[in-house]
Amino acid sequence: MTALTPEEWQVLVLSLKVSGVAMAAALPLAFVLAWVLARWRFPGKVLLDALVHLPLVLPPVVTGWLLLIAFGTNGPLGRFLAEWLGLTFIFRWTGAALAAAVMALPLMVRAMRLSIEAVDRRLESAARTLGAGRWRTFASVTLPLAMPGVLAGLVLGLARSIGEFGATITFASNIPGETQTLPLAIYSALQMPGSEWQVTRLAVLSILVSVVALMASEWLARRSGQGSAHHAL
Amino acid sequence: MRKPLAFILSLFMAFAALVPPAFAQQSGPLVLAAASLQESMNAVADAWAAKGHARPKISFAGSSALARQIEAGAPADLFVSADEPWMDEVQGKGLLRPKTRVSFLTNNLVLIAPANKPVRLKIAPGFRLAAALGPNRLAVADPNAVPAGVYAKQALTRLKVWPSVQGKLAPAENVRAALALVSRGAAPLGVVYATDARAEPGVRVVDTFPAASHDPISYPVALLAASRHKDAEGFRRFLISAEGKAVFRRFGFGTR
Amino acid sequence: MPFDVAITLRRGKLRLDYAFRTEKGGLTALFGPSGAGKTSLLDAIAGLARPSEGHIMVEDTVLFDKARRIDLKPEQRRCGYVFQDLRLFPHKSVRDNLLYGWHLAPPDRRWMDLDTALGFLGIGHLLDRRPATLSGGEAQRVAIGRALLSGPRFLLMDEPLASVDAERREEILTVIERIRDELALPILYVSHDRAEVDRLASRVIAI
Repeated sequence: MTALTPEEWQVLVLSLKVSGVAMAAALPLAFVLAWVLARWRFPGKVLLDALVHLPLVLPPVVTGWLLLIAFGTNGPLGRFLAEWLGLTFIFRWTGAALAAAVMALPLMVRAMRLSIEAVDRRLESAARTLGAGRWRTFASVTLPLAMPGVLAGLVLGLARSIGEFGATITFASNIPGETQTLPLAIYSALQMPGSEWQVTRLAVLSILVSVVALMASEWLARRSGQGSAHHAL
Repeated sequence: MRKPLAFILSLFMAFAALVPPAFAQQSGPLVLAAASLQESMNAVADAWAAKGHARPKISFAGSSALARQIEAGAPADLFVSADEPWMDEVQGKGLLRPKTRVSFLTNNLVLIAPANKPVRLKIAPGFRLAAALGPNRLAVADPNAVPAGVYAKQALTRLKVWPSVQGKLAPAENVRAALALVSRGAAPLGVVYATDARAEPGVRVVDTFPAASHDPISYPVALLAASRHKDAEGFRRFLISAEGKAVFRRFGFGTR
Repeated sequence: MPFDVAITLRRGKLRLDYAFRTEKGGLTALFGPSGAGKTSLLDAIAGLARPSEGHIMVEDTVLFDKARRIDLKPEQRRCGYVFQDLRLFPHKSVRDNLLYGWHLAPPDRRWMDLDTALGFLGIGHLLDRRPATLSGGEAQRVAIGRALLSGPRFLLMDEPLASVDAERREEILTVIERIRDELALPILYVSHDRAEVDRLASRVIAI
C-alpha cells in the first residue's frame, strides 16, 4: 500500500532528471541575467526585467502555450533547433525540462540578483589595486561572496521546477516515461476513480521533495546573511 | 488609517449586497458530458433553452474524470458517459436515480491525420501503422481509462497492431485533446470518434475502424441520485426524445 | 620625482582641480578638512576613478595621461592602497587577505615576504582569524600588511588612524614611521589631523 510501484519510481527518477537538466541549463542563464540586471544600466532595462519576471506572473498554461507557439513542431525556434541541433521538445523530456527551466528562471534571477547587489563593490576595487584583473576579481571576491545567494536561488529554482505542472502539460503533454513528472502523474492518477492510495503516495513524495528543497534553500539564504558578511570591514 | 479601512469595508459590503441578485436568477441543470459530445450537447441545450427553459450548464471532460467527480460528490444532475463501464461504475456506487439510465447514442472510431497530409492507410489486421508513424507518436485518449482510448486499444489489439504502437502513444486526457494534437501537427496520426473528425476541419479521416474491432460505442445517460434541479428530468427526456436525437444525428452520431 | 599629479576630477556638477609635484621620496601628507576630495584624489591615482583631464606620473612611470591616451588599469599601477574603510575580504582568513596581492605579483616584484611583514606589524598571531573578529587596530595593521605584501612601488594611505582607538594610535603611528624610514617607498598620506601630519610628514600639501 505504501511502497512505491516501479512506475512510481520511474516518475520520481524522471522528475529528478528533468529538474536536474533544467537547473543545469537555467543556472548560467539566470546568473548572467542577474548580473546584467544588478550591475548594468542601459535603455530598455525595465523591459528586460519585466520579461524575466513574466513566467512568474503569467498563468502557467499561458506560458506553456507561448512555449508551444515558439518551440512546438511548427514554431520558429522549434523548427530551427530540430533542423540544426536535432533537438525536439514536444512529447519529450527535453520539453518538460524547458518548461521547468522557464518557470523557475524568474525565482532564480531574483535570488541571485539580490545576492550580487549585496556584494560590496569597494571590495572589488580593493582587489583591483592589489593586482587582480577583472576576471580574477570576479572569481576570487565577487562570486564567493555572492555564492550563498546563488545557491539559494538554485535550490529554490529546483523546488519550483519539480512542482511545475501547467506549462509542462500544455507544452510537452503528459507522456508516461517521457514527460510525466510527479505533478502530472498525480493529475493523471486523480482522473481515475479508486486511485486514492496511488495519489497519496505520489503526493507525499511530492511534499517530501519540496520540503527538503525549501529547507535547504532557507538554510543557504540564512548563511549568506549571517555567516560571511558581504560588506567591507 | 481607519478612514480608508471603513471605505474599503463598505465597498465590500455594497458589492456583497449586489451579487446575490445575480445568483437568484434561475440557472439550468448541471450536465456532466463526455468530451466528444461538445458541439452536439451544446446544440441540444440551445434547443431546450429555445423552448423557454433555463439553459443547462454542461461540463465536458473524459468520462473517467467525470465518474471520479461524481464519486467525489459533485453536485451534478445528469451524466452522459461515452461508454457503459463508467456508467456501471457510478451505478455500482448507488449514485444514479433508479430507472433513469438509457443508452441512446452510438459512434464510430476513425483514424485521422492533419488535413494537409496525404497519408494513405487501409485499416486491416496487421496494417502498417507503426511504420506510418515513423519516429512520431499516435495521438489517442488515455487508453487506460478514457473510453475513446479504451476503444482504440481494443481495436488495435484485435487488429494485432497494438504491440507495435504501444510504446509510441501520445495519451491525452480526453478525445478532444487527442484531436487537437493531430490538428496542431504535433502527431501525424490519431484515433478519435467519427463525430470528432467531423467537428474539426483541421483533420481528415484516413480510414474507419471496422465495428467488429471494438466493443459497440454506446453513450448512456442517467439522472444522478444527488440531482435537485426541477428541470433535470425534463432535459433528460428531451435528450432521448425524437427531437433531441435528431440534433445528435446532425453531428454524425448514430441513435438507438 | 616621485609624484607628479595634475588632474581635473568631475563629481556631478562639481569640478575639482589638483596639481602637485614632490621632489624626493618619503611621506607626503595631503592635509585638509573632510569632504575636500582627498579620497577622490587617491582613487584617481590608484586608477579607481578616471580624471577628465590631466596626467598622473609616479616615479617616472606614466599612470594616466589624457592627451596621450594612457590610462593604466588599477592592477597595472603597482599601487599599495590602504583604504579608510580598510576593505579586508570578509570571506578570507587574515593569512589569505595578506597574501592576496602577494600571490598575484610576479616573484621579482615581491620585495617583502610574509614573515617580514608579520614581524614588522606584529600580527603573526592573527593569521588564522577572520577579519570580522579583529579589533580596529589589528585590522588596520592587516590592511597595511596586505598592501605592503602586494609588492607596490608606492603607498596611498587614507586616514589610517580614523578607525583606531586612542590606545592603539601610538602603535600604528610607529608602524607608519618605520615604513617611512626603513622601506624606500614614496607615501601619500591623507589626514585631517594636524598633529599626525606634523609628526609623520616630510612635506605637506594643503587640499
